Amino acid sequence: MILELQNITLNFSGSKDSFRILDGLNFSVEKGRITALIGGNGSGKTTLFNIISGFQEGFTGNILFNGKPLHALSPAKIAQRGIGRLFQGKPLFQDLNLLDNMKLASGDSSGESPFSYLINRKKIDAGEQEKERQAIDILNSLFGADNKYTKMLHNMGSEFSYGEQRLISLARLFMGNYSLLLLDEPTAGVNPVYINTIRQIILRMIADGKTTVLLIEHNMPFVRDIADRCAYLADGRIQHQGTPCEVLDNREVKNSYLGIL
Amino acid sequence: MEYILHIVIMLNIYILLVLSANLPVGLANLLSICQAAFYGIGAYFSAYFLMRFQLPFIAVALIVMTLTGLCSLVVSFAPVKLKGDYFVLATLAFQMIVFTVLYNWTDVTRGPYGIPGIPSVKLFGIMSISGIYGYFILTAVLSGSVILLFRKLKFSPYGRVLTAIRSDELSVSALGRNPVHFKTWAFFISAGFSGLAGLIYASYISYIDPTSFTLDESIFILTALFIGGIGNVKGPVLGALFVVVTPEILRFVGLPDAVAANLRQIIYGLTLVLIMYLRPQGLWGKITLK
Ligand SMILES: Nc1ncnc2c1ncn2[C@@H]1O[C@H](COP(=O)(O)OP(=O)(O)O)[C@@H](O)[C@H]1O
Ligand SMILES: [Mg+2]
Repeated sequence: MILELQNITLNFSGSKDSFRILDGLNFSVEKGRITALIGGNGSGKTTLFNIISGFQEGFTGNILFNGKPLHALSPAKIAQRGIGRLFQGKPLFQDLNLLDNMKLASGDSSGESPFSYLINRKKIDAGEQEKERQAIDILNSLFGADNKYTKMLHNMGSEFSYGEQRLISLARLFMGNYSLLLLDEPTAGVNPVYINTIRQIILRMIADGKTTVLLIEHNMPFVRDIADRCAYLADGRIQHQGTPCEVLDNREVKNSYLGIL
Repeated sequence: MEYILHIVIMLNIYILLVLSANLPVGLANLLSICQAAFYGIGAYFSAYFLMRFQLPFIAVALIVMTLTGLCSLVVSFAPVKLKGDYFVLATLAFQMIVFTVLYNWTDVTRGPYGIPGIPSVKLFGIMSISGIYGYFILTAVLSGSVILLFRKLKFSPYGRVLTAIRSDELSVSALGRNPVHFKTWAFFISAGFSGLAGLIYASYISYIDPTSFTLDESIFILTALFIGGIGNVKGPVLGALFVVVTPEILRFVGLPDAVAANLRQIIYGLTLVLIMYLRPQGLWGKITLK
């Protein structure tokens, strides 16, 4: 198990009363696999990602990553430990070009202090070139040798379509040294022509046998196709888990989530 | 001629101030309204070191910039984590406190009487920079170097992280960079260079008093920045040019001082409003205001 969530509870305080979004949730994620997390809108899937990646305070329970507690680490520290994230619905950095969007995701952030650049220019330039080479390698290997993105390295993030920005956001996760990737609705709002590419990218993520993917998805055919495991979140807990077929064909899941009687 | 040189010197000082403000405000998404406080802190520290010790310019500059930079940590380490509206309030409080201290701690600052007789800077400990020509050359070299420096910084890996923070802080932290760390440095460097502007001003004018470092002055610096445009280096430089030259043109036209002062405020105000409607990225800036 790469990730273990134990007895996670979180209350949100609304304007009048507080409500319990996660209620003693237990969940373990198997290493080297693709696990899909499904559940209705507002069931707390993104909130759970926020808890894992350090953005959500005020919960109780334990999180073990590779057997070690992640308690009270900042989001940046958690990312440095090896947990990467694709946010729900977020585009690229709009004011940075494609190449800088990739470089900023590099696992090597030395050279980003304001003084190092002035003091040790040569070394940093070399590091920058190395990152550029790495970025081009990634783009070529994901999108083919003659892809449009390698030719558009200096176009601003804002110049790409939303679907393209999501593809690049996934691609840039290869720049870091992540062992667990949290992908929040990678196919949502994306032109269907890109969905097969997204599928290929996610499969590549686990191809090294060491990386694990935890995926939030509403696209059920996609989940059946790509996921090894599936977990259904409702009423603050994981209600069912198993293979995608087992979970998606479960009567209760069909009734309450898929709306099929 | 001397009149023109004086304006150019003041322009160079404002280039330092507006470029410094651009680092937090334009790049790191930190709306600082205490830039004049740093300018003042730098000026008062400079007065102390110049009057007490015979140090070469470089030494005074480094000391003053470091001390002023350290003062920025008072705001950075306040429990507001350099964020949004809280940060604005923290800088407002800092600005008011600094002014109050400069104005009322009369044993040290002489309060409203100000500090007269501040000596000129000494280039290598001996060669005293004096007179308007000396300061013209010194400030031209300084503002030129600072323009280059800030350009470098903007296009460095550090500048890349700041630019990213401006558009999406959460994603920056999810990629393993701690935004607070980068913002703290941006604010520190900004304070340091505003302090340097204070050093030049104090030694050039040779007299300082608290009224040069008010909240009004902070807002004036931001006005120049927003008129010129945020995010790049050209915008702040041309913004400084705009606010320094406009009053001189009004004077040249021959308006009486009382009218000119009001007209100046109206021109700045109208320019800002027009910019919001017509050019949200400022006259020469790169980033559109939101
Ligand atoms: N910071 C917050 N304060 C109060 N309520 C929140 C907060 N964040 C999310 N919520 C609410 O919690 C519920 C779960 O949100 P989320 O985890 O985003 O759901 P989803 O499963 O669709 O990703 C939603 O109803 C949302 O409105
Ligand atoms: Mg969600």
